[in-house]
Amino acid sequence: MMPTLRIPVLASVAAALVLLCAAALAAAQEQNPLAAPKSHIQVGFPAELYSWVIPPDNPQSPAKVALGRKLFFDDSLSADGTVSCDQCHSPTKGFTDQLPTSMGIHKAFGQRNAPTVLNALFNTLQFWDGRAPTLERQTEGPILNPVEMGNKNLEDVVAKVKSIAEYQQPFQQVFDGLITLVNIEKAIAAYERTQIAFDTPFDHFMAGDQNAISAQAKHGWDLFNGQGRCMTCHGWNPTQPLFTDNRFHNIGVSAHKSDFVPLARKALALIQQGGGGMQQLDQLAIQTDMSGLGRFLVTKQPHDIGAFRTMGLRNLLVTEPYFHDGSQQTLWDVIDHYNKGGVQNPYLDGGLLPLGLSESDEDDLVAFLATLTSPEYADAAKEELDHQQTRAKTDRPQRDTAAAFGKTGLGPGFKGPFGDIGPAQNQENPALLGGD
Amino acid sequence: MAVRHKSVETKYMEERGAALRGLRQLDRRTFMKVLAATAGAVMAKGLVPPHTFQLVNVANAAVDKSWSTAGASGTPPFMFAYLSDTHMYVRAKNQRFVKGAVKAVEDVNALDPQPDFVLFGGDLAQLGRPEELEQGQEILAMLKAPVKMMVGEHDWFYDLGDKWQQLFGPPNYSFDWKGVHVIVLMSVHEKDFWTARKLTPAERIQIVAGLDNPIQSRFEVGDEERDWLKNDLAKVPTTTPLLIFSHSPLYKYYRNWNFWTEDAEQVQALLRSYPNVTVIHGHTHQVLFNQIGNISFYGMLSTAWPWPYAPQGLPPLTVQMNRADPYDQLDGLGYGQLNVNKEGLPDMLYNLWDRNPVTIHSEYLRSHGKIYRPPAPQFASY
Amino acid sequence: MISKAAFLLTVPSLLAAAAFAALAIPSRAQQQQPTHNLPTAAHGGTIVMLCDGKTGIEVKDLKPGQTMSRAEAQSVADALMAKWQHAHPNEHWQMAQASPAAEASPAASASRGAIAPSHAAPSSSQTQSAANAPAAAPSLTVQQGDTYASFQPRDYKVWKAETDKFVADGKRIFHDDKALGSTIGVSCDMCHPDAANTHPETYPKYQVQLQKVALLRDMIDWCVENPVKGKALDPNDPKLRALEAYIYAQRKGVPLDYGKH
Repeated sequence: MMPTLRIPVLASVAAALVLLCAAALAAAQEQNPLAAPKSHIQVGFPAELYSWVIPPDNPQSPAKVALGRKLFFDDSLSADGTVSCDQCHSPTKGFTDQLPTSMGIHKAFGQRNAPTVLNALFNTLQFWDGRAPTLERQTEGPILNPVEMGNKNLEDVVAKVKSIAEYQQPFQQVFDGLITLVNIEKAIAAYERTQIAFDTPFDHFMAGDQNAISAQAKHGWDLFNGQGRCMTCHGWNPTQPLFTDNRFHNIGVSAHKSDFVPLARKALALIQQGGGGMQQLDQLAIQTDMSGLGRFLVTKQPHDIGAFRTMGLRNLLVTEPYFHDGSQQTLWDVIDHYNKGGVQNPYLDGGLLPLGLSESDEDDLVAFLATLTSPEYADAAKEELDHQQTRAKTDRPQRDTAAAFGKTGLGPGFKGPFGDIGPAQNQENPALLGGD
Repeated sequence: MAVRHKSVETKYMEERGAALRGLRQLDRRTFMKVLAATAGAVMAKGLVPPHTFQLVNVANAAVDKSWSTAGASGTPPFMFAYLSDTHMYVRAKNQRFVKGAVKAVEDVNALDPQPDFVLFGGDLAQLGRPEELEQGQEILAMLKAPVKMMVGEHDWFYDLGDKWQQLFGPPNYSFDWKGVHVIVLMSVHEKDFWTARKLTPAERIQIVAGLDNPIQSRFEVGDEERDWLKNDLAKVPTTTPLLIFSHSPLYKYYRNWNFWTEDAEQVQALLRSYPNVTVIHGHTHQVLFNQIGNISFYGMLSTAWPWPYAPQGLPPLTVQMNRADPYDQLDGLGYGQLNVNKEGLPDMLYNLWDRNPVTIHSEYLRSHGKIYRPPAPQFASY
Repeated sequence: MISKAAFLLTVPSLLAAAAFAALAIPSRAQQQQPTHNLPTAAHGGTIVMLCDGKTGIEVKDLKPGQTMSRAEAQSVADALMAKWQHAHPNEHWQMAQASPAAEASPAASASRGAIAPSHAAPSSSQTQSAANAPAAAPSLTVQQGDTYASFQPRDYKVWKAETDKFVADGKRIFHDDKALGSTIGVSCDMCHPDAANTHPETYPKYQVQLQKVALLRDMIDWCVENPVKGKALDPNDPKLRALEAYIYAQRKGVPLDYGKH
């Protein structure tokens, strides 16, 4: 099945280069300092939350993490021995591939942007549509997907790992020698759970260092809580400082490309035939135009059509491009998208309103978002910010000033953003009153 | 603010809006052609037009399919839809409520198959002004299916029904539909509280528009209309299923908010000899249902705002909907479909925006809750 | 606006507040707040008075702007109470109870008894609410004298009338889109008839959409700003205070249950 490709040519070339070098790089990547398990001694690290998310049946241990790390960077896990996890979740790229959508074996592209492994241990569900309940089960998706690691079945993968001599000892140490799918998954998940990213300038600011972020970023933080309405979904608080509500919302990203209802009917028919197991959902999500249906593929509820998981915002300057299809290049594009109230479609979330943010407001929001960068990515993020800033000066495909300021559509059939323009402006921010 | 940037969606909306503004000059057939032409232009640009669809078959699949195998004309089953309580100000004052109504209209237009008719459940306007009612008529004219109108107190008490009746005809009437006798009542008569107080029409409607305003009187169908109902039923054999529409619930739920009809018992008595009676009412803006003897009651959703459940009197058979999220302007709102089965009893499908739909099987009420119990809320009202 | 002398609260359970007497900052106080006239400090110190407006002592070492330690403040409070009791030998004063558990402890009772022998004074009469005004004039079986023992039925009526007016004003604003500053004709009662579904008794609580703990006034302001489309009100805005009063009044009798969802 040939997916519809909308990948810029340059990106394809870059991706092809990545593929050619993948095998050689994998080993080097494994030793990259950015791949190392992270210390918990980070400002802003949510110790309580951490204690709640480590599954009792898969406790962390250094040996297990080391084994998982080895597996994570091992090309053998793919059908033709060319693709490891880090091809799409590269430590040097914030555990993503920095491509709009990911490329797997045989240079095939999928339909979804690779989410970062950083802080993924805190997600309540995995994948953009939450089709996997845990990090453990998540691994099955890419391993089997024909355009990712391309294995025919999970048994093949287990057999391959069994045949590799250097895995014998670590499996012996960690799992009493039982090389099984469940244990492979547990080890990889344990390694992924070491990828914790806090300690950002923002975390230092919230810990009391008034100088950790600029005045511009502070204003951005106010907007984030108030007029921008960002906080409602990208929530932050000291107990759960992740900038996500872990829920699913239709913000209209796939409304352009997807004719939702025929697609939804087609998907339902296919799911009815195919049983709707995880592998089928994975293929629908990664390989077909039904990808744009998002959460609907999992729940089959109409209100979940086009809904995708709220992503956390940390280190987003090293995980570009943005949204589930990687369709937005810069943070300005993303904010433009929200500023106009998202893209209209019948399933648009009722919380999306035009925001009336000015140009300088948008700049300030970006300045705030840039403070969510962990120290190990500071240089890369700075470079990317400069790049985006330059680009945003000339190229703003999502900008719609009139819609953002609620000035469009007074006609009787108007079906623009639902409701009135977002919070009245120039207010003291109610979100900042109380509770501090 | 300099308007320098327009997205493709905005341009599309402008074209579409321009087409729709010519609405009143067009008959329905021409109007549909205009709509199709606009959509065509949009397709040519590679945009998907923002049509609203409802996966009816999905929502219903688990419950009952009898309605979808359409019976021969003249008998149930059939399906109709409702919209209710749009509470529209003129759009220059408040766009939110207008957009709620338009969204519901587009949702109903996208139903496939189309409903036999659409019942509008009252409170089209917020303050009963002629311009609000005219705007409401204009929006409802966009519905593809025939519309049956019912009046609410917000429509009536500015000019005591003058404009509404001019636009929509008499407020109570009946008709037969595929073997079911359908009666639309005007149930929101109030005793005169305004003459003695020398209230202006604007003051009067402001009082009526306040749900918790105790100055107004309780709703009633009234002697005259009950006589009319009696005469109307005289021609209807008791084997015929009855479908009654009223704006206020035809039972006593909560007096302070007029979730109430003062002469409910007398109206119920007139319906007692009919084994299959269903009352569909507006006004309460919530998922609400009840069974009294032979009569099943369903409350309709609003498209403007949800009401909380009243502190007392909630029918024990009602399974509350979750509390509404104030941050989501669509939450707790929506429209509905009623799938009338062979016995002439409707299953109610609440199509709640941003939520899973809720189906209330007629047998849930008829069995007094023994079967088909709908799912319980996570966050009930308190 | 730090007053030169602060007043001690005589409500027994707040006796500990004496420790902060010299720090008490009536910030954001209402402008019409009544004040007692203070005698001039004879030795350049700070006059600290009880709220009867009569009993006072001068803390000589405390210059304006200085603060006392908790221990010092407690000793000042003790001295004031001793002075008051000396001047009112026939009055009985029931001391604050640290906790209900302490009440049950004989040792604790004994120690309290040593300070002020209790004759089972009807402490409830000291905290009588306006709504529970005694119907009859005070009789000889009820304590007579200054402060809380000296209120007459008319006082209760005044209190109730004032409170009711405050609440009524809140009710008016609650139902008035213009008073709320709505630009789209939306008032609170449209979604909250009789202030239903506002559950003021559950605050403070984690407000999911703000992703933080909110007070009732935070939500009022959020509503004024968002669905109502007005301008958020200052926490001291009389409108916000009145709205809060109305909402609480509508839930009279409902037990406090902070944090409930």
